Amino acid sequence: MIVTTKEAFRKYTDEAQFARIVEMDTVSEMWTRCLADYAELPAIVDGGVSRSYAELERDAAGFRTLLDQAGAGERVAIFAANSYDFVKAYLAVVTTGRTAAIFPAHLDAGAVFGCCMMFGVSALIYQPSFSERLELLRQRRPDLKLLPADALCEEKTPHRACEAKTPCAIVFTGGTSGKSKGALLSNQAVMQGTVNGCYGYPDVFEQRYLLILPLSHVFGLIRNLMTSLYTGSTLWICRDNKEMFRDIAMFKPTILVMVPALAEMALTLSKKFKRNMLGDDLKCIICGAAPVSPFLIAEYDKIGVKLLAGYGLTESANLVSGNPESLTKPESVGIPYPNQELRIENGELWLKGKNMMEGYVGTEEPDAYSDGWFRTGDLVRMDEDGYLYITGRIKEIIVLPNGENVSPAEVEAHFNTLALIQDSQVFEDRSELGAPILALEVVLRPTELAQLPEEERRAKAVAQLEEINRSLPGWMQVSKITVRDSDFKRTPAMKIVRYHYGTDKN
Amino acid sequence: MELTRTEITERLREILLAADDRNRDVVAACTEDSRLVADLGFTSVSMLYMVIAIEEEFNIRFENVGVADFNTLGEVIDYIEAQLK
Repeated sequence: MIVTTKEAFRKYTDEAQFARIVEMDTVSEMWTRCLADYAELPAIVDGGVSRSYAELERDAAGFRTLLDQAGAGERVAIFAANSYDFVKAYLAVVTTGRTAAIFPAHLDAGAVFGCCMMFGVSALIYQPSFSERLELLRQRRPDLKLLPADALCEEKTPHRACEAKTPCAIVFTGGTSGKSKGALLSNQAVMQGTVNGCYGYPDVFEQRYLLILPLSHVFGLIRNLMTSLYTGSTLWICRDNKEMFRDIAMFKPTILVMVPALAEMALTLSKKFKRNMLGDDLKCIICGAAPVSPFLIAEYDKIGVKLLAGYGLTESANLVSGNPESLTKPESVGIPYPNQELRIENGELWLKGKNMMEGYVGTEEPDAYSDGWFRTGDLVRMDEDGYLYITGRIKEIIVLPNGENVSPAEVEAHFNTLALIQDSQVFEDRSELGAPILALEVVLRPTELAQLPEEERRAKAVAQLEEINRSLPGWMQVSKITVRDSDFKRTPAMKIVRYHYGTDKN
Repeated sequence: MELTRTEITERLREILLAADDRNRDVVAACTEDSRLVADLGFTSVSMLYMVIAIEEEFNIRFENVGVADFNTLGEVIDYIEAQLK
């Protein structure tokens, strides 16, 4: 068993700043310090408007009053795109000891209703432009309190203290089995993740961050928003990713938090158009959510930008490890952050620690834990210096190059609703031109087939599959559909043997 | 800027090539009928890259269109052509 401390990170940050990295147990405690230390500093810039920490507290304090007046219970959903109003609402919810259930902005009306039921929320804060997607909820749950995120209130309610174990956030995840659910993160887990974001690089406090990642993703919520607030930094909210480089040119961020595909894109654009698209003030890119190539680390080093790779999960409040030695150990995901216990069992990483979730909400996952350890589903090894390397995945999730996690089981479930389909498998494949794509193979159900003339069978199945495919969100759609003549290869327990690109299938 | 359709296509091809050298064969084989997602394997990030690079290269703006509005490479070229006029 490996037990971790923050000492391993000391040498990467100057002494005075390192001393300021203090662990805290609750968001309210952090917010109290933010207001004492950074009140007049700019906290959030959104749509060209800058708000200081004191102004953010003023608006959050009004929103706390609205929550109390509405009689909002323990769990409150937030259904909004990245915005100042999101941040204000989130702070108001969690600093009253409530739990913020954060809904991805792309959810449709059915999913919004379903998630409200699954997470047992008593109120929902919504972006006014999303109002149409609340119709089903309004019909079926007229008792549920709905609060527009842009609401303001003159009457202020101060933030309230809570316990380290008070639930703070419910964040969406596919988990290790791939079925969508919520990970319940306590205040101490969120704060450990927040503080972990301070380790491993020289300049930590009063930085300029740009927010590109969605706040419904733990990497956006904790590493980007929370660490920015904790460090008295300014967070510029990029509302449209297409405008990212125009925003960067204006704001000149010092730290960027992004998925590797975006970091690679920025590099490509800089080379193609022969100018540094990321601005001259950038010192550091925090990269995660998908594997980081050593090439990218080396290329950024050439232009004086430190690219720090890390490893994390929604279930671990994002950060498990970070790599301050990205140049000398470019293939590693780094050394584990403090206050965790790690165990490597048959190659699989098992975790315990302050940053770990309290459990899943909305579904049972009997295989998620063993003897009280959370099983990550990731295969790892550790070198003699304590650096971790991901060597494979037990879990079935497909990680596309843009960091999008596609759960085959979740996509398959949509196709499996068809009576004609007996079984299906979604997997990573290559297009005829050689590009990575999602593909679907199906086995038809003989009893249903028998009712159709032979010549119509395949065409009918394909037409139905294509119709389902078109109804899915873009990132879930498959690019290739194959109807098999024979059954899939199966395990002794009759489970489908899954294809893994580059090994057995292709 | 007066550009022929062939010139636009060639510049677009260069943009796609710059993005991913490993995809050289894919880009070399693509035609105006190539579908962005199904044939070229575009993800949300490659779509974003293409849009940003096109704006930079051709000095145009993608206004009131989403990347989901484009199915094939030919449709992207149509849009660029229309914007340049």
